[in-house]
Amino acid sequence: MRKSVLDYILRIYLPVTLLVVVATYTVTYFASRNERYHVGYAPEQPINYSHELHAGKMGIDCQYCHTAVSKGRHANVPAASTCMNCHSVARTDRPEIIKLTEYYKNDQPIPWKRVHKLPEHVYFNHSVHVNKGLDCTECHGKIQEMPVVAQVKPFMMSNCLDCHRNAPERYPHLVNLTGLKKGPENCSACHR
Amino acid sequence: MELQQSQPQPRYWQSLDELKGTPEVLEAKRHEFQKGVTDGFDVKQMSGISRRRFLAAMGASAAFALASCKSYLDQGEVVPYNEQPEELIVGRPNYYASVIRTSHSATPVLVKTREGRPVMISGNPEHPFSRGGISSHAQARIMGLYDPERLKEPMQQGAPTTWTEVDGVLRKALSGLAGEGKQGLVLTHCLMSPSAKKSLDQLVKKYPQLTVHSYTHLNHSHRDAAWKKSYGQDAFPALHWDKADVILALEADFLGVEGDAEAERLFATRRDIMNEAVKFNRLYVAEGNLSITGMSADYRLRLRPDAQYAFVMALAQALGEAGFSLPGALSAKAAAFNLKQFNQTYGLAESTLKHLVADLVKAKGKALIYAGDRLSESVHLAVNALNEALGADALYDFTHPALHQHPLSNPAELQQAVAEMQTGKVGLVIHWGTNPSYHLAAMGYAEALKKVPLSVMLSTHANETSADCTYTLPVHHDLEAWGDYETHSGLCALQQPVVAPLHKSRQAEGLFLTWAASADAAYSETLYLDFLRYNWQESVYRQSGSLLDFQNYWRTALHDGFVNYRKSGASKPAYRAAALNDLVESKAGDGYVLSLHPAYATLDGEFADHGWLQEIPHPVSKVVWDNYAAVSVATARELGVKTDELIQLDVEGKTLTLPVLEQPGMADKVIAVELGYGRTQAGTIGSQVGFDANPLIRFDSATPMIAAVNATKASGKHRLVTTQLHHAFDVPREQDLHFARQIVNEGNYGDYLKDPHSIEMHVHKIPNITKPIEYKGIKWSMAIDMNKCTGCSACIMACNVENNIPVVGPEQVDKGREMHWIRLDRYYSGTPEEPKVSLQIMLCQHCDNAPCEVVCPVNASNHSDDGLNQMAYNRCVGTRYCSNNCHYKVRRFNFFNYRDEFAKAYYSQELAQLQHNPEVTVRSRGVMEKCTFCVQRIMWARQEAIREKRDLKGTDVTVACQEVCPSGAIIFGDANDKDSAVYKYQDHATSYKVLEALNAAPSVTYVTKLRNTHEKV
Repeated sequence: MRKSVLDYILRIYLPVTLLVVVATYTVTYFASRNERYHVGYAPEQPINYSHELHAGKMGIDCQYCHTAVSKGRHANVPAASTCMNCHSVARTDRPEIIKLTEYYKNDQPIPWKRVHKLPEHVYFNHSVHVNKGLDCTECHGKIQEMPVVAQVKPFMMSNCLDCHRNAPERYPHLVNLTGLKKGPENCSACHR
Repeated sequence: MELQQSQPQPRYWQSLDELKGTPEVLEAKRHEFQKGVTDGFDVKQMSGISRRRFLAAMGASAAFALASCKSYLDQGEVVPYNEQPEELIVGRPNYYASVIRTSHSATPVLVKTREGRPVMISGNPEHPFSRGGISSHAQARIMGLYDPERLKEPMQQGAPTTWTEVDGVLRKALSGLAGEGKQGLVLTHCLMSPSAKKSLDQLVKKYPQLTVHSYTHLNHSHRDAAWKKSYGQDAFPALHWDKADVILALEADFLGVEGDAEAERLFATRRDIMNEAVKFNRLYVAEGNLSITGMSADYRLRLRPDAQYAFVMALAQALGEAGFSLPGALSAKAAAFNLKQFNQTYGLAESTLKHLVADLVKAKGKALIYAGDRLSESVHLAVNALNEALGADALYDFTHPALHQHPLSNPAELQQAVAEMQTGKVGLVIHWGTNPSYHLAAMGYAEALKKVPLSVMLSTHANETSADCTYTLPVHHDLEAWGDYETHSGLCALQQPVVAPLHKSRQAEGLFLTWAASADAAYSETLYLDFLRYNWQESVYRQSGSLLDFQNYWRTALHDGFVNYRKSGASKPAYRAAALNDLVESKAGDGYVLSLHPAYATLDGEFADHGWLQEIPHPVSKVVWDNYAAVSVATARELGVKTDELIQLDVEGKTLTLPVLEQPGMADKVIAVELGYGRTQAGTIGSQVGFDANPLIRFDSATPMIAAVNATKASGKHRLVTTQLHHAFDVPREQDLHFARQIVNEGNYGDYLKDPHSIEMHVHKIPNITKPIEYKGIKWSMAIDMNKCTGCSACIMACNVENNIPVVGPEQVDKGREMHWIRLDRYYSGTPEEPKVSLQIMLCQHCDNAPCEVVCPVNASNHSDDGLNQMAYNRCVGTRYCSNNCHYKVRRFNFFNYRDEFAKAYYSQELAQLQHNPEVTVRSRGVMEKCTFCVQRIMWARQEAIREKRDLKGTDVTVACQEVCPSGAIIFGDANDKDSAVYKYQDHATSYKVLEALNAAPSVTYVTKLRNTHEKV
């Protein structure tokens, strides 16, 4: 009798429990890897545009191109016409610029691959963050050092709340400068 | 239980069954949800896929997903413009002033566009007449723009054709008219555009065989004709409804379909409890059918519409006795009448008539009698004489009198035109937006049209007439078109396209110009624009005497949406007593009388295919998606019918069978039917909804819409879907306590003036066992002034548009699954014969101690720091506990994904989806939803405040329902700000909170409805 119970434990109970434990761990591990939240996602773009060059080496302000970021919810991807402000004369002989000019002249919008995307029930607002003095790099990482843009932070609600709850401690210099307060924690601030 | 026995009559009731105490109804009211609200989930019916197949498909797709695991990272593309439009910033709306046109009105509007796509239409706040108020119909137009069933390309008898061919055929046909000795006809709605009129003139000039007819069921023809006879002028003045102390409306729904946002606004200024400088006006209404205006009346007289002539005469006689000097012809004719006798015949309340005469005498110079559009010219002539005697010259404003670009054709002229079509004298008919086969069915238009060799329909949608037309040509929607509209002389509104044409449509006026031009002239989109600009330069700009150059003048006009270019200095013309010679006496019959009305939902049928409008409950009866024969309880008994049973109406051989609705407040022997239903060619949404009463119109009579009728009981039943007992508040045991429970409150204006606090309800002092929540910053609150609310339902439409509310269809409404976030509760009190009506706008009250929040197992429903009761859709698992626990019954559950479920997924088609407000989530199946106080607008205001580096103020936010309300009955703001309007309302002596005793601490304050009656309520 006892033997059969032991036998049952050894032959069935233990392996099944182990399997469940290992499987749960593995699944949870893989499901909660940062990569699952697109960290490190750096898709190949139709034009090999380098933020490292433009924003880093040349020091062009982010808002020269992403103009809407302080005006509304979305940070726009600039229109081809914005690129052509310079590239109608600058470096027109480079292959990537020729590609750009092609797109522009044929009136074809450039199909940029999207890197950062929040779920559709999140109404993130760029302008309130930017106008409170938060730097783009806080969420997007050191874009000025990226030849190809990649996501560096997992955009999860816990990341948002982490900052919302501790904003004044995190950015003490902004408290007097822009009147930075704690961010809202109520649902309809982002979900509606 | 004792209470129930001691007081069997509830003070307030919502339906006759409730008044009678029908056990089923009382039982139904005890339950939170409608019976059957969870029925109908037959798996076989819902989807063809069985559970096994679904699992198999799931497994397979999971396997495929794993196989293509690499691409789960893919986030799609983000495609910018190639050339950035200068005025467009992604995420920020642009507003354009324009005009929305219906068959009888042109509303100056502000169109909100997002990324180039119109998403909402609201009133133009700067227009001196509407001041931002707008009807539900003009708002619903946006649904028509994205209607997947719009005409998309020119069609020749059902087959696609090209515009080039159409131009050729039409030019040939038009120039051939002269040779064949035939006539041509152009049929349009009410012509309100001076430039459109000129473009038609050009067409007629080139082809003189053409005659232009315009008509609409919603016209003021009788009023205007009588005005012309009485004063020798066409121009009916604007009325100062705000300056009248006493108003008598005779069968006139001036707060409803016969009026506009301006009348509502001006009327409401005299119902303003916060403005102590003005006194309430007093509204008397004499009508057969309970209308929106009747619901707002202080005194209501139930009178059959064909007795209005006798009533006016008897009133004239009484006023003559009271010492008014009436024109000789009137007093001579009125001598035969006597108010007392009249009263004996029709059983009106004697005290009310006494008050009426006394009030008119007392308010001399500030009293106005207004007769309805459907009454005969004679009644209007007599009313003009009475108004003249009342001497209310100050109530007329001739600065911008009404203006007609083209006189409406009278029924005789239309009859003549139809006869000519019938005899083959007409070679070509061009319909512009009209639907005469439906409207003029009584004239036999459809048969006559078949005798016309070439017929053309210029419209955005197919209709009954286009079905018989040779060519059906798509024209621009209001939001794609240019135009100018001058409904009031000197005030010209400008219509500009806010979106490029979605389909291969053309501007109708441009087509007229093309056909009128030489044979090689081609249509272009700028043709009419150039014509319009030229006209403005020549007429409007010249007359305005503006110091700007024309280019700047034009730009300013485009920006403002209208110009006030001319003021007529005219004063009231002299009255011509000779007009009374045309008085034709009309005797009221003693049989049944049929009273046909334009519908609140569909007007004359123009809006039948707008699902939102069909689903807004009828303001009085709360019926949706249907029309019916409304009769009084006594008349129903006499006919031997009950609600939902069929009767047959017979007007001189023309019959119609339709269901009966027992409507409290109807005059006996009156059968009221709404027009605008029973369309057969109104697309998936509008076809076969209700019953078509157009064939019963008697165009040969002095009152086409009011006729003697034979009514008999017919066999069968037709279920009328009504929301009147949906989401009802009370349980039977507490019925009698309805008043005591502070749901609706009312008082007397006289009492209020004596002592404002006499109206105050008992304020409960309820001990709290928890610490009350403190709101340190802004506390969002709303106040609703029930003195101003007329019940027009514009707020419901605004909420629908702003918050992406789906259309669910009549079957779902019947199960209590309508999705409206804001509803209009209508309570009767008194007897079914003479009910008093109390209205109440009901929406989420955003309670501080919200009972819905504590029962949510997943914390999807919770409270914010600024007083909002939030609903996080992505948390909701659909237990419906919150709804069960809400005592205001304002939560709505998505039993289906309604866009897929309704009418073969009509509203989930790609085109229809473009209408959605991008700032609001489109809720899916299994999710609870409710009013959010337009949190997207609050967040927008917050964003703007941060951007402008200032604090957010309560006045920064205007919620959607508040924005459109013509009478300004809804006030929103910060209750912590002592200077805010909402605080002042909350603080007012007559304000109260619904069901305050439950200690939920709602954020919505109601202002007690005060009736301006002589007696106590």
